[in-house]
This record gives sequence, C-alpha cells and structure tokens, in this order.
Amino acid sequence: MLFHLLYPLHEKIALFNVFRYITFRAAGAIVTALLLSWLLGPWFIRTLRRLSVGQNIREVGPQAHQIKAGTPTMGGLLILFSTLVPTLLWADLGNVYVWLVVMVTAGFGVVGFLDDYLKVRRGRNLGLTALQKILGQILVASALGLGLLLVGFDPALTFPFFKRLVLNLGVLYIPFVVVVLVGVSNAVNLTDGLDGLAIGATTVAAATYAVFTYVAGNRVIAGYLQLSFVPGVGEVSVFCGAMIGAGLGFLWYNSHPAEVFMGDVGSLSLGGAIGGVAVLARQEILLALVGGLFVLEALSVIIQVASFKLTGKRVFRMAPLHHHYELKGWKETQVVVRFWIITILLVLLGLATLKLR
Amino acid sequence: MSPENQMKKRSTQASGETHVSATNVMATPNAYVRFWIITVMLVLFGLATLKLR
Repeated sequence: MLFHLLYPLHEKIALFNVFRYITFRAAGAIVTALLLSWLLGPWFIRTLRRLSVGQNIREVGPQAHQIKAGTPTMGGLLILFSTLVPTLLWADLGNVYVWLVVMVTAGFGVVGFLDDYLKVRRGRNLGLTALQKILGQILVASALGLGLLLVGFDPALTFPFFKRLVLNLGVLYIPFVVVVLVGVSNAVNLTDGLDGLAIGATTVAAATYAVFTYVAGNRVIAGYLQLSFVPGVGEVSVFCGAMIGAGLGFLWYNSHPAEVFMGDVGSLSLGGAIGGVAVLARQEILLALVGGLFVLEALSVIIQVASFKLTGKRVFRMAPLHHHYELKGWKETQVVVRFWIITILLVLLGLATLKLR
Repeated sequence: MSPENQMKKRSTQASGETHVSATNVMATPNAYVRFWIITVMLVLFGLATLKLR
C-alpha cells in the first residue's frame, strides 16, 4: 500500500524513490512486523487468558510438560496478523505472487484455527480429525498449484547442484505442490513441541528464503548464479521479511518459559508459508535441507510408528525427536538452542548451493 | 536513609543488563533469547547502512 501511495510521489519528493527497492521495503516489513507483534503481544496474551484459551497438554508427552497446561495458545493469530499486515503495507499489491502466498498462509491458518478452536472448546487435546485437517490442507495447497498454472508459472522442478537439470511436471505440478505444502506444514506442526523451537527454525528458514526469492526475481543475480529466473517473485521477499519480524517478535514471548504458544493456527500457517515461498522461488528440493530440522522431526515420528507397528519396538524414547533428547536428560532450553544451531548449519549449507554446481 | 547512603544507591539491581533482567521478572532463557533478538535487530540495522546513505 505504501508503495502505491508514496512511490508515485518520487518525482516531487526524491526521498520516496527508495520505495522502488525491494530491499528497503523488505527491511520496512521486518521492522513493522516486529513492532506489531512485540507491542501487541502483552495485550494479545492478556486477551487469550481472559478468554481462557489455554493449551491442553498431551498426557502421553513428557511429564515435565504438564506444568505448561493452561498457557495461552493460538498465538499464531498474532504471527498471522503481524505477517500479513506489514506485507499488505509494504509489498507491491499488483504482484500476483504476493497475493498467492498471502492466501496460502491465511488458508492454512484457517485450518489450524479450526483445529485449535475445537480443542479449546472441547477442553481436550482433540481438534479436527486427521482426515479433516489433511483435506483442508490439500484444498489450500491445490488452490496454490492451480493458481500458479493459471498465471503462467513454469511448472518446472529445479535441483540444487545440478543447475542445468530441469524437470517439467506439467499438470503433475499440482500434486507436487500439495505434497510440499502439506508435508512442510505438518512437519512444522510436529516441531512445535518446545518453547521457541518451531518459531526460531521457521524464522531462520524465512530469512533464507528471503534471499532465494530476491535472487530468483533478479535477472542479473539469477543469471550469474545460474538459478531459474522468475520475473516478479522478488517481491515475495517482502513477505519473508514480514515473517522474520513477526517471528522474532513472537519469540520474545514464546521463549522458555513461554507466555504463549502458537498453536496449530501458527504452525500450519508458518509451514504453509515456507512451503509456498519455496515453491515460488523454485527451491522446493532445497527445502529438505533448509528445513532439515522439520524433516528430521517428521522422520522420527514416521520411523517410530513404523518400527512399533512392524517390530513392536520403539527406536526413540519418544517421538518427535525433541522429546527423545529431553528424556535423555537434556534440558528443554538445551534441546531448543542445539536444534537452532543445527538449523543454522543446514541453512548455511543451503545458501552454499547458490554458488556450488 | 542518610544523604551519604542515598548517594550510594544502585541504579540497577545488578550489572550487567542481563542480570538486571534476570533478577527482575525474566527467567534466564527469556533474558538471553530477548537479548539475542535485540542483537539480531541491531545487526539488521547495521546491514541497512550498506544501502542507506
């Protein structure tokens, strides 16, 4: 909105020329989102407490987590608000990719909200059924895949390290987008089990994809790095900037001991957003590396369930993986900070693929 | 309190600033994560000077 209001005035007031630059508007989105989530946080947490929107803790989880029962949940609404408002404020609203990623984030947010709302209303850890949840996610993800094909997005799959290898998926692109988005959103959901863990990792991933979308949208840099050039996708880095700011602002209140949890409304929408941005930047495969923590957490659950069903034995003391380390004696904050360090290392490896081929 | 002792009052409960936060209301992890967030924002402002002149 600011871009449309202020940039046309640049001929009279030269200062407004800065609104032309994506980097400036991404920085503006970071600061605005941080201030929004940071300033609204205390009021938001008080409101959730007043409405008795408290987290129900799984009885099968670690015993130490039972003291967290009653901590306000659905903090993801604050993340969503603090991401979407700065995006609408700073991004070029004539850009279709911005609208697509905004709609995907909001769509996944609606699915998560319904799940959280039912959990709170029923007073147990039972929200939407697994089938209802996955159908909602598939619907939103399919809408993105279809929308991309309709706007003429090249349905091609690119690979890190093998930059000349391109696989054209055609109509299979829609199920591919569904697999990516549903996979990431559920993986972030599984990761969201310790204070600050999921928001820290998604904020780092958002920062990485801010770089990737900026590069993919810049003909010169994309050409130099032999990456797929996607005209207009650089604008999505403004959205990533808003995600970074909102994430940091939320982490302020979500760090141990958390004053608020993001809930499914936060984890599903953040996962959907990261998946959507990866699709737009044509760096879906790389998401397995940048979001490696989410992959590990999801794999630990899959391995645990498969092993228990096939052999009757558990591979981990508890799944997802963060609980395994807790039960091994690591403190919650140790698990969180160590998992963040792993995420940062994986992200650095991901960024290195820009140069390696 | 005598005027001399009034002069000896501490401006903060402890120093450095991390201990002030920890001795007030924040738990230790809260304090360090919040200080990291402030550091990240300061770094981002620092990086912004590359572009702004």
